[in-house]
Amino acid sequence: MKHSMSSKGWLLAFAGTVLLLVLLIMGFNFWTDPFGAFGDRFFQWWSYDETMNPRVAKLSYLEQNHEQYDSYVIGASHSSSYPTEALNTYFDAKFYNLIMYGADMKDVELTSQYVIEHYTVKNLVVSVYIHNAETYDTEANPLTYNLHYKVDGSSPLLFYAKYLLADPRIGLEKLQRSRTDPYLQQSYRVFDPETGAYDKSSRDVEPIGDLSAYLARAEYAAFTDYPTASTSIAYLEQCMESLARIKQMCQEAGVNLVVVCPPMYYAHLAQYSPQDQAAFYNALAEVTDYWDFTLSSVSYDPRYFYDTTHFRNCVGEMLLAKMFDDTSVYAPADLGRYVAQGQTPGQPQAEVPDVADYTASVPILVYHNLAETGEGSDTMSVERFTQHMAALQEAGYASVTFDDLRRYVEQGTPLPEKPVVITFDDGYESNYTLAYPILQQYNMKATFFVIGVSVGKDTYKDTGQPILPHFSLEQAQEMVASGLITIQSHGYDIHQAAGLEEGPVRQGILPLEGETEEDYIRYLRQDCQKMDELLGYTPGILAYPGGNATELSEVILSEMGIWCTLTIVEKNNTIIQGMPQSLRQLGRYYMKESITAGDLIYLLAG
Amino acid sequence: MNDREKLMKILTETCPGVDFDKETALIDGGILESLDIVTIVAEIMDVFSVELNVDDLLPEHFNSVDAMLQLIESRR
Amino acid sequence: MAFTSPEFLILVLAALLAYYLLPKRVQWVILLLASCAFYLAGGIGAMVYLLYTTVTTYIAGRWLGALNQKRQGSQAGAKLKRRKKAIVAVTAAANFGLLFMVKYWDATAQAMDNLTGLALPRLDLLLPLGLSFYMFQSMGYVIDCYRGKYPPQRNIAKYALFVSFFPQMVQGPISRFNQLGPQLTQPHPFCADQVKYGIQLAMWGYLKKLVIADRAAVVVNTVFQTPENYGGAMTAIAVGFYCVQLYCDFSGGIDITRGVAQLFGIDLAENFRRPVFAVSLTDYWRRWHITLGSWMKDYVFYPISLSKPFARLGKFTRRRIGGRLGKIIPTSLATFLVYFIIGIWHGANFRYIAFGLWNGVLITGALLLAGPFVRLRTRLHIAENSKWLHGFRLVRTMLLVFIGRYITRAPRLLVALDMLYTTVASPCLYQLRDGTLLRLGLQATDLAVIAVGVAAVLVVEFLQERGMQVRKSLEKRNPFLQWLCILLPLLILLFLGILRDAAISSEFIYKQF
Repeated sequence: MKHSMSSKGWLLAFAGTVLLLVLLIMGFNFWTDPFGAFGDRFFQWWSYDETMNPRVAKLSYLEQNHEQYDSYVIGASHSSSYPTEALNTYFDAKFYNLIMYGADMKDVELTSQYVIEHYTVKNLVVSVYIHNAETYDTEANPLTYNLHYKVDGSSPLLFYAKYLLADPRIGLEKLQRSRTDPYLQQSYRVFDPETGAYDKSSRDVEPIGDLSAYLARAEYAAFTDYPTASTSIAYLEQCMESLARIKQMCQEAGVNLVVVCPPMYYAHLAQYSPQDQAAFYNALAEVTDYWDFTLSSVSYDPRYFYDTTHFRNCVGEMLLAKMFDDTSVYAPADLGRYVAQGQTPGQPQAEVPDVADYTASVPILVYHNLAETGEGSDTMSVERFTQHMAALQEAGYASVTFDDLRRYVEQGTPLPEKPVVITFDDGYESNYTLAYPILQQYNMKATFFVIGVSVGKDTYKDTGQPILPHFSLEQAQEMVASGLITIQSHGYDIHQAAGLEEGPVRQGILPLEGETEEDYIRYLRQDCQKMDELLGYTPGILAYPGGNATELSEVILSEMGIWCTLTIVEKNNTIIQGMPQSLRQLGRYYMKESITAGDLIYLLAG
Repeated sequence: MNDREKLMKILTETCPGVDFDKETALIDGGILESLDIVTIVAEIMDVFSVELNVDDLLPEHFNSVDAMLQLIESRR
Repeated sequence: MAFTSPEFLILVLAALLAYYLLPKRVQWVILLLASCAFYLAGGIGAMVYLLYTTVTTYIAGRWLGALNQKRQGSQAGAKLKRRKKAIVAVTAAANFGLLFMVKYWDATAQAMDNLTGLALPRLDLLLPLGLSFYMFQSMGYVIDCYRGKYPPQRNIAKYALFVSFFPQMVQGPISRFNQLGPQLTQPHPFCADQVKYGIQLAMWGYLKKLVIADRAAVVVNTVFQTPENYGGAMTAIAVGFYCVQLYCDFSGGIDITRGVAQLFGIDLAENFRRPVFAVSLTDYWRRWHITLGSWMKDYVFYPISLSKPFARLGKFTRRRIGGRLGKIIPTSLATFLVYFIIGIWHGANFRYIAFGLWNGVLITGALLLAGPFVRLRTRLHIAENSKWLHGFRLVRTMLLVFIGRYITRAPRLLVALDMLYTTVASPCLYQLRDGTLLRLGLQATDLAVIAVGVAAVLVVEFLQERGMQVRKSLEKRNPFLQWLCILLPLLILLFLGILRDAAISSEFIYKQF
């Protein structure tokens, strides 16, 4: 063995080692491709890549998938809230949302240009708001905010060198995340790769009701103390010039250009001086026709916003309906104005709405078993129940169904002045034999939540132990036929009883101890499917056994068609027009023998 | 006292413990420091009534007693 | 352009390739071009200052050289000397005057305003990169020309390279023309040994800077940001970290400078000689920032000490006071002045003046008290070469330097004094145990990295102090071990140095809404 190394040998070893390390880093970055710069060949995890750099990764994604689309939405992060499905229906097109967080008009122009020149484009929806006049051609971070070289015409060599030699820990993070990626949306992957929009699966089923409860939550505290900012629309000219060029491009390429000003929270808009506001909207009208949704009654209710600067998807549904004059969808009368090119619309104006005009307070009662004489907590006497119904009728309460609530939310159909929802959990036979005749007598509508495995049974599932008898499917159908009763889901088999169950007992809808997320989700889906099969239709409402609701259960259930969920939290509910989320995790008053008719009316009077 | 004795007196008083007779690398060997040099030069100028300036402060002029004597001689 | 930037590495690599591949006679031109590129990266404005200094000192040098050629009759000689003196004085005024305006005017005006209530105008000039370094270096050249140490450089481009040689632009060392000038312009054939040593030295510098200094800086910045939050013990720890940071950063930077210069076959002067092993403050200043100290010695200390007023003062003190004291009073005064100037050189702030005074007083004091100390030692029967005495001196010197560092790092002099007081008066030892140390911005692993790093530096310097040539001795090891000595530092540099800052985390980019 040679026991020395010449200096030349040392230099070669050094150069070789450096080269090796550089190649290793480059290979690793190419493999993991956390920014999607190389087409993410090995992971195809676009949601992650687009979160790291939407500008680059979305372009890489479209290079591979643009045949699936023929229309595009483009703009900064608020542009995500034009729901793709609604766009596809209204435009009869296949939309891809090119939202890029923090996009300025330069990003929008260059990206639009590339897309128009290289892909099939029928429609281009450009979302532009006054903030776009504040910055132009900025790049906050060269790795996460820059455009793809194909879009901005920069050097491909430098572009690839930058991503090949990027900090390998970024790729490592992607690798680690991919190993432990849970089902729900995560802050490191916020995009829905198919639509390009933000994945709002969790946020759009988050329960929203009473305004003060909403503002009391930490994530919405900013609305109470809205941040102030000094603003300047210094780049108005550049912004409008970009937009004019986009219009030119669209005209030349025969693309239908739709310019939309997204809804803003009123305090956000108020950060701009009246002069600046007028200047912006007038300048915009010089360039193009546009829909202006900036300020309306929606702007004054923080519940219509994900945060201080982003309107919710449900607002997007409303404004698209407005644009296409779809009266089957609720939208406030003052939402949106169409500004034709050449007009001078000036500063947006809207009146502060009366919250009562678009919200309703709806109490829900939950009963369980009835008997001739009341016993225990769950069982109420026929006499007491009759008193309850009589008192409700006398006090002027009108029973409404969940479908009524849904029509109120989605179509704006008014509710009676004093609505109340009557529900029965578990599907006991007594609901049929005792409650149903009384409901008929008082002409009260009610919803019965049945436990799938117990329908028509008086023994516990497979163990055969005796339990209270449950009404049968035939009895259910008879009641439904009356038009008073609706049968909905209390879960097929997520209402397990300790002591009767053979294996481990599930606590309501919660996962078992040690159950993997994958197994749990499969179980929930199967549970829903079994219910569908049993009832012969897909129930839209689920009362959580024991009231246990989780973010995951809400997301899975909504995917399975459940648009309204109920808990056993004793509270009144605020239902909001145009906001389907106000039908989630509703509270219910627990009815028992000890509650007299007087107590009930007192309770409902609040 | 001759020049050498006068010089030796200056040197031993300024830097006791240095064997000036034998040392031939007083500066290059790091035995004398700049402070010592300056003190010695000031003394030399005073005692021998010669004028030395910064240009003379070269190591070769102060490395040994002989070199210093030579320097003094040349400046007279 | 920072040493740690990719641009710098690319510049060095490109310059190296051109340097060894193109004909030898253009090597110096490549260095000049690389230096221009390096300097231009800092903006065109800074270039003006560089040109100003280059041109003024070049002309002065040529002129002095020409005057030195003239025959000197005694009468004419005196006149000639006056003219030469005038040239040096004007050049010095032109350059140091500019330095003063750029670096000190605003602070001086502030102080004057406070004193007099006037409102003097502010210049608000940007301090160009390395201004004081290249100014000192070129003024040294002018003075050497005045002294006739060597003939001036006639080629202004070659002279410009001496002033602007890029590796030493940021933090020195302050080179001498006779040492550096010829090296820069002579041809350098490729020498694998030189390049190897250059790479090794630069890597060692990068390790010190990126792995140790940049980490230690986090603790220092945290504590000095809000010193009032920390007790004396934590304050002392932070100052300790600052000593580590300063030394590793500065000496690391110099290692990179010297390493890079060596790649081009050029030896730059040493600027540090293991100051941890200094036995006295004087010794410390001979080991720390050596080229500045030596510049001060040659161009400030000697001229002052040998000037006429000092000669008169010396005569006076020797006659009136006599003895050793009488002899060293003028020297001490000159020493004091030098440290005072070194203090001011660090920056325009009272705390630097105080820092200069601190060093000046201690060193002068040591000079004046040398006699009594020797007598004390003899009375205590401590041998001059005793190990204990050596250890005591090491610790004492460290302590004095340590205290001095309070003054240079604190934002203001009063804060420094306050922190010093806190260190002694309220150490708050509980903060050592309650996890405060882990709330200073570093994790336990970072602290461990610093500890291991400092230990490694100390071991290497200890071996060097004992006269061992660490890299030379490595060459005798087997090739695999040598290769490990390439791979490991590179890996450490990559993972503990370059990739030290938090990576961009996707969670920070997108705020959940």
